[in-house]
Order: sequence, then structure tokens, then C-alpha cells
Amino acid sequence: MVRLVVAWCPSLSREGPQGEEPRRFADVLDAATELAPFARPVRLGVLAIPSKGPSRFFGGEAAFVELLERTIAPLLGEAGHVRAGVADGLFAAVLAARASVLVPAGATPEFLAPWSIATLRAPDLAATCERLGLRTLGRFARLEEARVLERFGLDAVRCHRVARGVDGELPGLRDHAALRRLDEVRRRDRPRDVQRGFFGEHAGADARAAAAAQRLERQLGVGAVSVARLGGGRAPDDRAALVPWGSADVERPGRDHVAPWPGRLPAPSPSSVPSRTLSVALLDVHGARVTVGASGLLSAQPVRLEFEPGRGRGVAAHCGPWPMAERWWGVSRRRAHLQVLCDDGLAVLLRAERSRWWLTGIYD
Amino acid sequence: MFASAPSRTATPAELATAIRPTAPAATRLLPVVDPLRTLFPDGALRRGATVVVAGTPGMGATSLGLVLLAATSSTGHWGAVVGLDDPGVVAMAELGVDLRRVVFVPRPRGMWAAVVAELLEGVDVVVVRPPARVAHTAARRLLARARDRAVVLVVLVEHRDDWPTPPDVTLELTDAAWHATGRLVARRVDVRATGRRVVGRPRRASLWLPEVQGAVTAVG
Repeated sequence: MVRLVVAWCPSLSREGPQGEEPRRFADVLDAATELAPFARPVRLGVLAIPSKGPSRFFGGEAAFVELLERTIAPLLGEAGHVRAGVADGLFAAVLAARASVLVPAGATPEFLAPWSIATLRAPDLAATCERLGLRTLGRFARLEEARVLERFGLDAVRCHRVARGVDGELPGLRDHAALRRLDEVRRRDRPRDVQRGFFGEHAGADARAAAAAQRLERQLGVGAVSVARLGGGRAPDDRAALVPWGSADVERPGRDHVAPWPGRLPAPSPSSVPSRTLSVALLDVHGARVTVGASGLLSAQPVRLEFEPGRGRGVAAHCGPWPMAERWWGVSRRRAHLQVLCDDGLAVLLRAERSRWWLTGIYD
Repeated sequence: MFASAPSRTATPAELATAIRPTAPAATRLLPVVDPLRTLFPDGALRRGATVVVAGTPGMGATSLGLVLLAATSSTGHWGAVVGLDDPGVVAMAELGVDLRRVVFVPRPRGMWAAVVAELLEGVDVVVVRPPARVAHTAARRLLARARDRAVVLVVLVEHRDDWPTPPDVTLELTDAAWHATGRLVARRVDVRATGRRVVGRPRRASLWLPEVQGAVTAVG
């Protein structure tokens, strides 16, 4: 089970008539994402963050929880307050947040034991257990799983596993309707004036564009028409891809491109990124090839850039190189990027990899 | 009594113009990002107009053409990019283009005019980089089609004479210089706008394209 930090803002857990709460919770979520990129909403007013990475980074769970509370509290106004807690599994972590406690690793079953059976949000099961005198999660957890299965059925077994601290997810725990609402609020807040049709609809333009794209695809073949997808990554060729129109790939959210990528090449990005690999030669004064050494430095000042042998431009200036060593845990990739400004004003982005230079981008 | 005497029956073409929905001037304009407004006579792109963007490689013609998609795509209008082999998608996002409303046909394989004609039916702005030689008839046909469908056609060329028919607006990149401190930070470009619809002196603008965040701003 994943160890989770959960923050709970009671004042935001129900949407009022003004609809202010989801918007404010979206701000809270953004603030939490700034601290820890994997912050995810659970329901309105509740968000969960895997504890391992952030607590190691911020110097322990207690420090991280305190920092989280301090970050969120100013966003809630006078009336609101925030509580945070840590435990194994989402169910226990939400209860820990309600009680504002940090449950030590492995102590989750003991922590859960005194809580009321009603916290499982299974009214039928709770009523029956109350009648049997099983008022707390601890008493319920002490039943044998096989007996629970035969007496109450499969849903109760799921609750039983949660009560024992073996599992952390309960069906009603994540409120998907509220999360959809949250997405809606965020999307509505972003674009300002979207073109509308006569009756206020905005599907007309989309349908027209889709029809044109489909006609083209019939003429040119599948894959000729594409759309762009942004993903995570450090270099411009990692971060974006053109995928065929209508492919399922577009719908699937890619790697989070707003998550931080330390060492990412900063903006501005090249306006043309060759999809084919194109080898170029970077030469010094003596006509020898310039290379990037193990220390990440250039072997000599580059003075000439040749796209084909014999045909080249002078190098007016260069910036970099910026070495990048990635994926040391798997298929490792070592490369370095260099920006080259030619004497005719053309600026290009080069990549040194496998002891050759490759054209990665043109700033046009 | 009648403004025009009904002496003869109207031709089908006249009927078509008569029943074409009239729209107020504002809806016949598509927005452009603020720094580029001074370059256009209406302060915006006029639907049905053709814009030629001319600049040698490295001066920023691609960026200037693509940035015309920024304000339109973010207000719900669709755009298409034809014939740009390898569009820098990240750069487009930095320029403010909403990529959800842009379709790409990177390699139209010799059918670029047919592809553009098809897209003129479906989107509001088409950015195209035609191959080196463009036939006069093909260019004229596309111009007429764009005007008829009220779509903005943006043509990226190296030199303004590469496009055979006179466009409504020509944006020429006259100067470009990179500003670099440790890395390429921003590029200052000078743009001159001329054309049929630009009366009097050519309009000029100095822009940071791209600026430090990858977007476009006016210099000064």
C-alpha cells in the first residue's frame, strides 16, 4: 500500500450556491502541485500526495505536512482551516487527516481500530454490524475473512480488507462527479471568449474541421493528417509528437507536461524540429571535428558548421553545451545540446550523441 | 419606386450573393495577438484575405506565420498547417497556439494545392509553405477559394515574389538579430507590412519573436 499524505479543507468540501468552493479548491490543488507534482484530488476539499518523494525532499514527513499546511492555509481565507495527516492507504490517510495525526509506518491497523464502523460508508453493513455489537473497525477487522465473505458477500470483504489495513481503496472514497466538476471549473476559468454559433453551440466548427480532416485522410492515406500532443521531457524533440488524426493516442493523457523536468532546455524553443535524424559536422579552425568531452566541455572553439561535406556556414557564436545524462537505471542516454548562431543569422540547436552532431532544431 | 427596376430576372450568381448571410464587420475579422495588430489595416485578420509572410531561413518567417494561429486558435477557431515538414510543436505552444484546434498535414506529397483547397472548407486559418515553384493558376484558384469560404490563407515563402499573385497583405521580415547571453534569449525582428489593403506608407513593427518565454512582444 502506498503511504499517502492527505490534506483536508473542511470549508471546501461542499459546493455552495456561489460555486466558489471548487474554484478555490483548484487553487489549493495548484499550490500543492507546486510542492509535490503528484498531488491529486480525492473529492472536493481533499487531496492526496504520495508521501515518499516529497517527505524525503523536504526533510521528513512531519516537515512536509507542516509545509503543506502552511502553503494551503493562506488560500482558504479566515473561515477555513486545513488538516493534514499521513497513513498507509487512502482510507486510513483520509481519517488521519481528519484527526491530524501522522500514523507511523506499519501502525495503520492499530490507528484504524477505534474508528466507528460507519466510516466505511456502507450503511447496510454498518447497521448489521451495530446490531451484532461490532461498533468499531477493530472489532469488525477481527472477524475471519472467510466468515465475512459467506455472511456479507464480496463488497463487505472489500470493507473488511480496508478495516484490517490491507487495502486502502473503497468504492465511494473518490468522488468522481466532484472531480469532473473540478475539471469543468478549471476549464471554464481558462479560455475567455470562445467562438459560438448562432444558438450558442460551439460544436459546429469542430465538426466542420473533423469532416475536412477525414476527407483528407481518405485521399492521402492514414497518417497524413496529424495533431500535436505535448508530453514531458527535456529536449524539444522529446516533448512533442505529431500523432495521426483520430488515433486513441490523443485521448490518452501523455506524461504530465506541466510537471517539473529539471534540466529542461528553456524557452524559446526551435520553431522547426526535424523528425528525421540529420547528421551535421561542427569543425574548428583546423578543420578538425569538435567533440564534447567526458567533462561536458567542447574540445575546441567551433568555427564552421557543415550540413553537407563542403557546404557550410561560419559559426558566429555558440551557447552551451548542456550535457544531459538520463535513464541511468535503464537504457541510458547521454547527450549534450548546443545552440549555434551562424554568421548569416541562422540559429540552430545541435545535439551531440554517440560522438556525432545531430540537427535537433532550427530557430526560424 | 423600386431601387432597381425588375427589368430582367436575376442570374444564379446574383441570387447567391443576395441570399449570402450578411454579417457585421466584427465577425468578418479574426483576432491577432496584440503586438501584431499595428501591421494589419483592421487591427485583425480579415476573413477571406491572403497573407504572404516572406523571410529567408532563420529570420523567423515560420514563427511569424505560426503566431497568426495563436489568437484565432485560443478563441475557438480551427487552424491548419500544411507543408511544414517538421513544425516545432513546443515552440507553437510557447507562441500561444492552442494545439487542440490545429491539424497538421506535414507532407502533402505534391498535392499541396488540393490539400489546402480541402482544408479551406473546414478550418478558419490555413498556414501553408508551398513548394519552390507555384503555378499562377493554382495560386489564383486558392485565393478565390479562400475569399469565397471566408478563410484566411497564410503563405510562407522565402521571397515575396515566390508567390505569383498579389496578396492582400505582405509581411516581410527585413531584419533579424538574436540576443544571446549564455543561451539564445530572444530575437529582434523588423516586419514591414505592405499590400493592396495597406494604404499609404508601409506599416512597420519591431518585435521580439520569440521573446524570452517563447511568445511575441513589441520592442520597447
